[in-house]
Amino acid sequence: MQVSKLWLQDYFNESIDSVDLEQVLTMAGLEVEDIQNFSDLSDLIVVGEIIGIEKHQDADRLNICQVNVGDKEPLQIVCGAPNARLGIKVPCAMVGAKLPEFDIKKAKLRGVESHGMLCSEKEIGFSEESDGLYELNSDLGVGQTIKNALSLNDTIYVLSLTPNRADCLSIMGVAREISALTQIPLKAKDIDQIESSFKSKQNVVVEDSKACPRYCGREIRGIDNTKKLPAIILSRLASAGVKSISPVVDITNFVLFEIGQPLHAFDSKKISGSIVVRKSKPKESLNLLNDQEIEFTGNELIIADDKQPLALAGIMGGELSSVEHDTSSIFLECAYFDPANIAGRARSFGLNTDSSHRFERGVDFGRTLNALNRASELILKYCGGEGSDIIDIASNLPERQPIAIRTKRVSDILGVDVSAHDVEKILKALHFDVDKNGDDYIVKPPSYRFDIEIEEDLIEEVIRIYGYDSIPAIQPVIESNILSANDKERSTFSIKSSFCDYGYDEVITYSFVDKEVEEKLHENSNSIELQNPIASQMSAMRSKLWGSHLETLTYNINRGQSQVRLFEIASVYKKNKSVFEEKVMLSGLAYGDHLIEQWSEKKRQINYFDIKGDLEGISINSLEFRVPESSNPKALHPGQTSELFHNEISVGWLGRIHPAWQQHYELTSNVYLFEVTLDALIHKKVKKIDIPSKFNPIRRDIAVIIDKKISTGELVKAIKNEAIPRLVDFYPFDLYEGSSIEEGKKSVAFLILMQDTYKTLADQDVNKIVESILVLLKNKFSAKLR
Amino acid sequence: MEDLKKLIKEAELDFSQCKSLSDLDHTKAKYLGKSGPLTEAMRGLSTLSKEEKPKVGAFINDIKQSIEKALLYRKKLIQDEELNFQLESESIDISLPGRKQSQGSLHPITISMNRIQSLFHSIGFDIATGPEIEDDYHNFTALNIPEEHPARAMHDTFYIDKNHVLRTHTSPVQVRYLKNNTPPLRIISPGRVYRVDSDATHSPMFHQVEGLWVDERVSFANLKGVIQDFLQNFFEDESISVRFRPSFFPFTEPSAEIDMSWNDGWLEIGGCGMIHPSVLSQVNIDSEKFQGFAFGLGVERLTMIKYGINDLRPFFTNDIRFLKQFEN
Repeated sequence: MQVSKLWLQDYFNESIDSVDLEQVLTMAGLEVEDIQNFSDLSDLIVVGEIIGIEKHQDADRLNICQVNVGDKEPLQIVCGAPNARLGIKVPCAMVGAKLPEFDIKKAKLRGVESHGMLCSEKEIGFSEESDGLYELNSDLGVGQTIKNALSLNDTIYVLSLTPNRADCLSIMGVAREISALTQIPLKAKDIDQIESSFKSKQNVVVEDSKACPRYCGREIRGIDNTKKLPAIILSRLASAGVKSISPVVDITNFVLFEIGQPLHAFDSKKISGSIVVRKSKPKESLNLLNDQEIEFTGNELIIADDKQPLALAGIMGGELSSVEHDTSSIFLECAYFDPANIAGRARSFGLNTDSSHRFERGVDFGRTLNALNRASELILKYCGGEGSDIIDIASNLPERQPIAIRTKRVSDILGVDVSAHDVEKILKALHFDVDKNGDDYIVKPPSYRFDIEIEEDLIEEVIRIYGYDSIPAIQPVIESNILSANDKERSTFSIKSSFCDYGYDEVITYSFVDKEVEEKLHENSNSIELQNPIASQMSAMRSKLWGSHLETLTYNINRGQSQVRLFEIASVYKKNKSVFEEKVMLSGLAYGDHLIEQWSEKKRQINYFDIKGDLEGISINSLEFRVPESSNPKALHPGQTSELFHNEISVGWLGRIHPAWQQHYELTSNVYLFEVTLDALIHKKVKKIDIPSKFNPIRRDIAVIIDKKISTGELVKAIKNEAIPRLVDFYPFDLYEGSSIEEGKKSVAFLILMQDTYKTLADQDVNKIVESILVLLKNKFSAKLR
Repeated sequence: MEDLKKLIKEAELDFSQCKSLSDLDHTKAKYLGKSGPLTEAMRGLSTLSKEEKPKVGAFINDIKQSIEKALLYRKKLIQDEELNFQLESESIDISLPGRKQSQGSLHPITISMNRIQSLFHSIGFDIATGPEIEDDYHNFTALNIPEEHPARAMHDTFYIDKNHVLRTHTSPVQVRYLKNNTPPLRIISPGRVYRVDSDATHSPMFHQVEGLWVDERVSFANLKGVIQDFLQNFFEDESISVRFRPSFFPFTEPSAEIDMSWNDGWLEIGGCGMIHPSVLSQVNIDSEKFQGFAFGLGVERLTMIKYGINDLRPFFTNDIRFLKQFEN
């Protein structure tokens, strides 16, 4: 909210210049977000008086004006405004003045010299449109700057108010707060009543008194809605960021910002019969003041007449019954609507008005009549006419409940000793009703405080005024228990560190991806979609990280990287019927050169086995890389993919990107993608530790010829499953496919490592073991010794 | 005899011509070998008389020893030369780079998260986590933010359906944890949170650490103490002080924005407050017996301050040239 310092000053007899408003308000929870000069109007725009006027000989619509700006000689200014005439005072922009759209220069119009420009309300920033010169009050002295004359020499405090502080959504509210914080007394300004000239015949029916506990109004007849409001009202409105529309509307807006009470004026000639405050009916519709046509659901509170809806209660009026320049009699509404019945309604129509903003947070129900009288007074004063008596229908008004506050509890919660005396003093300064009860108090908040319901709310009020700065920083005293530490699990951090040691960079990418990536690359046709994504390429919650990582890869390749290795640990999301499932995955990719280019190593591209080796190392061999048992992910090359298993459960994938996807992403060299559920990496195997034998192990190598399609891993698994005594290790160390081997076959060389705990193995023992291995391989895989 | 004496000079000359050990070996045979002149002379001793024998014998031995000495001298010289040659030929350009795979880097958010976790762990905070797709109840209602409450508008929420949102803060973990555990307790809950917002200082996804401490007597002043202690240790700067500024969160009362002193000014780094009694009653904790505090810190914010980065976007662009600067 924008708060004018001059407007605030209206509420104090004493000057508030000495108060550091930024500090005081911010530290009371009314955050000052920005401080602005109200107007940046040039000081070369001054009050001028037209003291001579004659028609331009060569242009019908132009007048040549002599303008007194306080200098010896008047300025000659050519002016095309229809209301230019002798004797009026207007803003005069002199040569050199900078206006928002152009600078004023000496000019010749149809052969006549012009030394400036006479201005309309638009140039002063009071309205969007204007059709003539802004005629100033004749009391204003010529030559003074417009900024001074119209009190635009003002400072605006832009407050960022939290939703609980509806009471500060007005100048009066902020002034009240400043008074409590600084002890500078507030000037009473409430208007209790104004004289009525006739009895209103307008019938008002409140059907929903729960949603509308109080509805007040009065008729005002014989007004002239083309009158000009004094500059002080227009400048106050401008300080709040509101442009002038018409006197009646401007006055209701003025009271809204002054007191915080939204009002609405209907053109009473456009009301058919009674005014009815009721819930809407489904399918009923209303054309709003902003030209928006809305259809009701049956859930909104509306103001209607006998025929149709007139206004969306507390939010916006309708076009049909709106006040226009030729309006001569109005019905001025001033109501209290229940926040719960306004909240959300404006948003559901895409609206957020100054009125709805206040009603959904809570408007002071104790000031309804004051506000109505204040607006009436101003309308009668500036638009003329006569006012009726007040129609006042009230029931179900909220009642503030008494709340107990215990001084000891204040200290317990805050950790700072606040005396009973201070508690009482602060609550009274905030205009709470305070009853002493020993060291404690029974408190009733005022009608404008919608945020005080429990003792803690009062404690916050106490410390807010007492000063948050007086809270000391005290270390709590705690029992020194050791926190349990699970030795069967690796920390996520240690897994991340391992990846870094293997040359992978950790990335963090958005959890949402393009729906198409989710469908095609991640093969998830049942993706979880956001209703309100930031952009379409961030609309679906991802079920894999690959899409995000390929995008990151492309980004980096485009910036000259020839080697990219990255990983991320993040949740993936899946919908299972109506249940959302989240699982933490470790995922990543490797691309490009095997090593960064260096003098001592031959350059080559990475391959499957580089990445498999990395994963074996990082996972501390807890993963098993199998020929896929489930169907191969479409993102991966069917001939270079392994399914990862942990404790016989499928936990992930490693493979080369499918050539079709490689082409899609325009990648010139291979990418290897992997993913593993984090759980599979976290669990540590509990191992039995062996003492190494004193005797040296014996090594024998064998080479066998097998069918090319048989995977080497199966041979290793078969031998290991056999648990041959004294066999310590068995693994392939060479692979040969070529001309000296039969077509369709391959030769694999295995290393056999044998050892006995108690003796050196004899040749015959060794031969026996080797022989048993060969037999097994022959029987199971038709392997032939090469 | 004089001939034999000349032999020493000859041998010395010969040996000095030798360039290698094998050369020397070869030349050695010429003087000391089986058919060499000294052996020959020794053999001739048998023809001499008893008196002459020892004299001549001793003379020959002297000569032999002189030659052997010359030989050893030369051998040592050659060995030294050869070693010097080997050392010289084997020397390398040690300034060339070492053979290596490039070192990976941890994401700066991870570095901060880890630091935050270990600092809080050191005063007994456990870690709790919760889902990112959160139901309306845990993200809002249980935190005292009923439907249509204006506070919901503060959150710029991503909606999945009528009842599910991407969590807008880590605070729902409070509710989940409190429901399943009994005080006294203290936890932190780090994780991803989401808001519909995107510019240099706002990201649609960012990270928070939620902290929670419930005990019989833990006060607003204790909250300030813990936060200040944490910040001083996180930034390793004991001069850091904390300012609490009144604010509003529906799930804490009193509530405060946390400002941290930095370069003669204040930086906002999170929000906090005493847990609202209605949050405690949602999870059946007696607010007359237990009280506690909760806080939420922006991890990106702390990281940006620590490294002097003023743009949030690089954290999620993942340019390797940015990431590699955060060494593991």
